[in-house]
Parts: sequence; C-alpha cells; structure tokens
Amino acid sequence: MEYNLYGFRGSSLNIQIAIIFIIIAVSFTVLAYLSILTGRYRAYKREKKLASLYPVIDNLLMDHILLNDELASDVPADHVALPIEVFRLPVFEHKWARQALIDRLIDYRNNVRGAMGEQLRNLYIQLELDKDSLKKMKSRKWDKKVQALAELSNMNMSIADVTILPLTNSSNRELRAAARHAYIKLSKNEPFKFFDVVTEPLLMWDQVELFKIISTTEHIAIPNFAQWITYSSNKSIVSFCLKLVVHYNQISAVPAAVKLLDSKDRYLRADAINCLGKLKMESVEDKLLQMYDSQPLNCQLEILKAIGRISSGRHVDFLRQEFLHATDFDVRKHAAKSIINNQWAAKGLIEELVETATAENKLILKHSMNPLIKY
Amino acid sequence: MGNIWETIGRFYETTVFIYGTVLLITYALLAIFSMISVRAYARKDKFNQENTLLSSPLAPGITVLAPAYNEGLTIIFNVRSLLTLNYPKYEIIIVNDGSTDNSLEQMISEFELVQVDFAYNIKIQTKPVRKIFKSTNPAYAKLLVIDKVNGKSKADAVNAGINAATYDHFVCTDVDCILHKNTLLELIKPVMQEEKKRVIATGATLRIANSCEFDEGVMTRMRPPRQLLPRFQEVEYIRAFVLGKMGWSLLNCVPNVSGGLGLFDKEIAIRSGGYDHSSFGEDMELMTRMCRYAYDNKIDYAIRYIPKTLCWTEAPSTVKIFNRQRTRWARGLAQLMYAHFGMFMNPRYGKMGLVIFPYNFFFELLAPLIEFTGVIYYIVMSCLGLINWPTALVLLLFVYTYSVMITTMAILWDQLTFRYYKTWKEVAFLCMTPFMEFFLYHPMIVIFAIRGYYYFLTGKKSTWGNMQRRGFQTTQKTAATVAAK
Repeated sequence: MEYNLYGFRGSSLNIQIAIIFIIIAVSFTVLAYLSILTGRYRAYKREKKLASLYPVIDNLLMDHILLNDELASDVPADHVALPIEVFRLPVFEHKWARQALIDRLIDYRNNVRGAMGEQLRNLYIQLELDKDSLKKMKSRKWDKKVQALAELSNMNMSIADVTILPLTNSSNRELRAAARHAYIKLSKNEPFKFFDVVTEPLLMWDQVELFKIISTTEHIAIPNFAQWITYSSNKSIVSFCLKLVVHYNQISAVPAAVKLLDSKDRYLRADAINCLGKLKMESVEDKLLQMYDSQPLNCQLEILKAIGRISSGRHVDFLRQEFLHATDFDVRKHAAKSIINNQWAAKGLIEELVETATAENKLILKHSMNPLIKY
Repeated sequence: MGNIWETIGRFYETTVFIYGTVLLITYALLAIFSMISVRAYARKDKFNQENTLLSSPLAPGITVLAPAYNEGLTIIFNVRSLLTLNYPKYEIIIVNDGSTDNSLEQMISEFELVQVDFAYNIKIQTKPVRKIFKSTNPAYAKLLVIDKVNGKSKADAVNAGINAATYDHFVCTDVDCILHKNTLLELIKPVMQEEKKRVIATGATLRIANSCEFDEGVMTRMRPPRQLLPRFQEVEYIRAFVLGKMGWSLLNCVPNVSGGLGLFDKEIAIRSGGYDHSSFGEDMELMTRMCRYAYDNKIDYAIRYIPKTLCWTEAPSTVKIFNRQRTRWARGLAQLMYAHFGMFMNPRYGKMGLVIFPYNFFFELLAPLIEFTGVIYYIVMSCLGLINWPTALVLLLFVYTYSVMITTMAILWDQLTFRYYKTWKEVAFLCMTPFMEFFLYHPMIVIFAIRGYYYFLTGKKSTWGNMQRRGFQTTQKTAATVAAK
C-alpha cells in the first residue's frame, strides 16, 4: 500500500490525473450497473405489489358498485348504500396503494356513466382520497400539480377559480394544459372564461386536447364563439374558435368570421375562409371572389376550396379561368377539384375541358375526378 | 534532423492530448445533457395521451414515404406493417425504384392496385415516374404506389415520393424497417408542442431487429442481438441516439435525423432541394441543407429527438456487409464536409456553423485519422524503444475505462427510462458488450472509415450497397435466415 502510494506520488501529473479518472470511471460504471440493478428490482417489486392489489380493488368495485343492480337500473347513487367499511383495508394505509385505488377509480369512472360514475365519486370522497389529490395540488412540483388536476377533474371535484385560473397561464406547458382542461370540465357557469385571460398562444397540441375535452364533456354550456373571434387579441384563440364554430355549426358566429376576412394576418384570413367554406356560406362567395386577386397563395387556395365546398354553381366560370390560366400547379389542382365539386352545374364545362385542355391540365382534371384519389 | 523529428513528435503528442481532452469533456457534457433531456421527456410524456390525437379531426396529415428496391421477399409484410400504424390522417407512398424482381407485381395483386391518372407535380427533379397506382379496395385507400425508373439511390426514390406527397409533413423510412404502431403519433408531437420555433425535423431512436420477435409486422418482443456484430451495433445505436442525439437535442444542435426514421417539414425539404441523389449520406446532407436554408431565410428552426425506440432495422451481421455500410457512411460524411465547408466556423450559421460543423469535422471526420496515425506513432515509438510502457498502459486503461463508462451511462439512461428488455440476462448480456467493443468493434469502424475517405478522395465508383437482408418473418420466431436479394 505504502509502495503504491509512493508510486502514485512519484509519477507525473498526467499519470496522476489519469489514475484519478480511471478510479472515477470504474466507480461510475459500477454505480451505473447498481442503478440498473436497483431500478429493475424496484420496478419488479412495484409491479408485483400492484399485480396482487389490482384484483382486490377490481373485485371490491365489481361486487359493490359495477354489478350493483340498483345502480345498473339508474337509481340515484345517493339512494344506494355504499358499504364503505369493506373498502377500508389495511393496505390502503400505504400511499402507493391509495394511489393505485385512485387510478383504478378514474379508469372505471371514465368507462361508466350515470349512477355508477356518481357512486365511484362518492367512494373517492368517503375514503378521503380527495385529500390526497388536494395535497398533491399544493406541491411545488409541477408534475404533482398536473396529476392532482387530472384526478380532481376526472372525479368532478370543484376547484376554486382563484386556484386554477392563474395556472391556465403557467409557463409550464403541461401544467397550463392540465389547468385549462380542468377548468373547462369543472367550471359550472363559464367554462371558457380562461379564453379571456390566456396570454400564451394555444399550441396545436393544446388545441387538439381542448377540442377533445370540449367535444366530449357532458352538459357543457357552449358559448357563442363570435365574442373571442371579434375581441380576442390572442390569434391562436381566434383560430381555435373558428374551428369550434365549424364543429358546432355556429351560424351566429358567421358575421364575426366575415369581419376577419379584412384581418391583416394572412393565416387568420385563411382560417376564416376555411371556416366559411365549411359552413357552406353561399352569401360570402362574392366577397371571396372580390378579394381573390389580392390574396397570397394560401388564402387563394382556401378561397378555391371554399367555392368547391359551397358548391353554389354560380362561380364555375371563375374556376374555369383559374384552372386554364393560373401558373401555379396547386391553384389549378384546387380549381379543378372545385369544378368537380360543382359538377351538377358544370357538366358541359367538364366535358369541354377534358377534350380541350392541355395534357397536364387534363391529367389534373382526371386526378380530381378519380374517386380513388382523395386529395 | 533528430531535433526536427523530436519537435514534430512533441507537437503531435500535444495536439493529440488537447484533442483527446476536448473529446472526453464533450462526451461527459453530452452524457449530462442527455440525462436532462431524457428525464424531461419521460416526465412530460406520462401526461400525454396518445388517444387524444388519435380521435381528433384537428390532427395534421402525415405522408409516410418508403422507397423499395428489390424487396420482394418482405415487401407485402412490410407494407402491411405500415398500414397498421395508429394515426387518424396519413397516407403511405411506396416508391418502387425500378425493382428487377417481382415487388411491384406482388403489390398489385396483394393490394388490388390499379393504375391511375395522378397529377404528379415535379417539385424536385427525379428519374421519370412510369406509373402510379391506387387500390380499389377501400381497406388500402391510404396506399399509393409509385413505379419509377431506377435512380440508383434512395434519395431519388424518396424525392419522387415527396413530389407526390399530399400532407405538410412526411416521414421517411426504409421499407424494410419495422415501425412502432404509434410512430406517427410520437413523431408529430414535438411539432405540435413547440412553442416558438418551427420544428423542421423530428427523429427517434432506432434499434437492431436481428433477434427481436415480430408478429404480422408488429414488434412483440425486444431482445439484444445474439450475434456479436449486431449486438455491438445495438450498443452503438443506444449510445448514438439516447446519449448523443438526446444530448444535442437539449442544445437544439441535432446534427442528423436518421434515414431509417425521421419526420420532416415538406415545405422546407422541397425548398432546400430535397435529397441529394449523389450523396452517400443523403439523410445528413438533407438535414444540413435544411438547416442552411433555415438560417439563410431567417427561419427560427428546431430539430427534435425522441428517446423512445420507434423503429427496428436489420443490422449487417457479417463483416463484409458491415464494411460496405460503414465505408458508405464515412464517404457520405467526407462528401458532406467538403460540400458545405463554407459553414465551418461561420457565425452566419449560428449553432450549425459554430458547434455542429466543428464537432462533426473534428470528432467524426478526423477521429478515425487521428486514431490511425496514433496507432502508427505508437508502433514506431515502441520499435525505437521510446515508449514508457507503465505510462502508456495507464493512459490506455484510462481511455478504455472512460469509453466503457460513457457507453454504460447510455445504457443506464435507456434502462431507467424505458426498460425495454424483459429479462435480467438480456440486460447483463448488453452490459458486457462495451467491454469488448474497444478491442473488436472500434478498430473495424476506424479501418472502414478510412477506406471510405480513400474512396472519396480517389472518386472510386461505388454502387448502392446491397444490404443482403435476411428479412423479418411473420411468425414468433426471430428474423429468418433466408437470403433476400
């Protein structure tokens, strides 16, 4: 030992550094193996515990809630006795087991409706699992907060506006999204109030998630989205509201969408044209044609698509003109598609074009006419 | 005269010392960065529900492009696998690149294809397209098959696919790769979740399929390859994807999105000119050009990487084919450096010019050369009796333990986050591999890389290497042993 130490001290600095790094590298490697070992062992133990607990939970829920005849015949949950003592098992004193129970309750509640769903909620409250969720809500960690929001909203537990609204503008995307979802689900009067306070843009992903929550939540009060299309300064909110207008076929919001045709933002203009086309608003066709020449390509394509969707048959000549004389390939393709969509009024024109068009235009036309080709 | 050699020797030693130190520090930093980004990804990912997008009418469309050349053995199986992907709005474009086998006939009969008049718009020049087919069976409505004249490169075939693509994003894969069923859902997420930048490409981890089990095109059991050479490649892929690319991803400095699997912004790809059919590293070349285009046009872009394994590819299992593959990759890297050298240390190209390019130049391109000259230097010095053996062995041991540590770290990040392998034995099997890599695998890579550089410098004519795949079979057994092409 003494010799080795002497040897180390007597060696050059390079060698001393190398030896220190060898020791560090070996230690880290051993540590990494130990981490893999313990990580896998812990996961194995966790899986084993859960594998034995889940059947217990499932059986209890089956026996007392899911196979309950009264609940099945939609007797209100408040009138059906809940044998709460049966659920007070010693294992549920452990945090992990309570979490497993919460997760299972949420799973079942997402798959049942009516009295059974209500009884699952009652169980969640009577076992004081909501306290676990509220505790997580107070955590400083964002992921705990997200978990709490998901649990509370899935169990339809109310959360104060003052707690949840600030979170809808959080800088953390996941937290922000969870808060918005919870707000829509839990707010009884104004589920869309956060649209007024949102300063961060709604990302594409946020829009998909919100769309799903809005379109699947029961008993949600759908407002007139025109108010945000007209007044919101957040472009992503306006764009999202236009999609909701289409989904709910909200004709009352059409004037607001028409006003948007004068917007300076070309993407918003394109969204507005898309919305009006999908709503088949024949009354705006003339305005769309008027503005066509001054528009950038994305708006021109949306106008062509809108005329195809509206299919009034009044602007076949315009479509013909664009199909024959536009230089851009996509413009010609969309014009052709819209001609085909207007074919009830353009039969003669289509026959004429098939016979007289250039080879490339003829190909575009045949492409548009082929039912096997969608786009 | 002796003095000159001594000075040169000292200069070489100092240069190599500095080079090695910077390289080791870079690897250490990458390990830390990758740990941060893998953990961040895992934490966020548990709150993302895939079915949200799966049922949404707002999901953006994606085109899946898969070029095929003489893939008759597995083409039907692979197209069926692509047809099972989970995504609400996508199309599959198979580009039959002038196959001389019966790939096209098999597809026509299996998928009930008929020739259609398709308005094919040539945005990127390719070899002529002969015919375009669609299926009359609504079950295969997503499928479009392009038959074109062989362009002698994957790039030419993919470019033809890009010309026919409908949607704004395309996923490029090889027809012989097996994709995870949620690949499209996972790859589009970073695009949809990005707050300020335009995501021009997303990549994901690839793994070796050689010993995995597949059933009807779906991976059912993941295993590290039993054969040594593919297992070395598995370890290398884990290090390159989980540690390397995830580390770079944190800095928005991803140097490349693999040709095996990547999602790209179609508009930027077309404006950048598409894949270069003369390049031997067409994936990295396109990525470089897309970044260059973004800088030139002041587009605030991002390239994102996912640590999840979404694609399995068959790795070369013989040294001969492995040599061919790595020679081609090295040649592609040399080509890329030569073609875009104007970006090197050029502040106009931001991180691309100041970080990615210098890293690739010094630690990817030059590394094999420095290692090779180092070995020669070692031999010469030992012949001259000028080696201090105890010192040399300590330094060698240092490099060895360090390289084992870095690879083990990569395996650790992967294991802690995803735990892909089912049994202990399999993990232990994989963990033992880095100990042999240094002596058996690494020297091969160095030699094949130098061979690639030599071919680049001499302009040796080289055809597209036939991978001679063995193919994945539809049973629960591992990849079958029938020779493919």
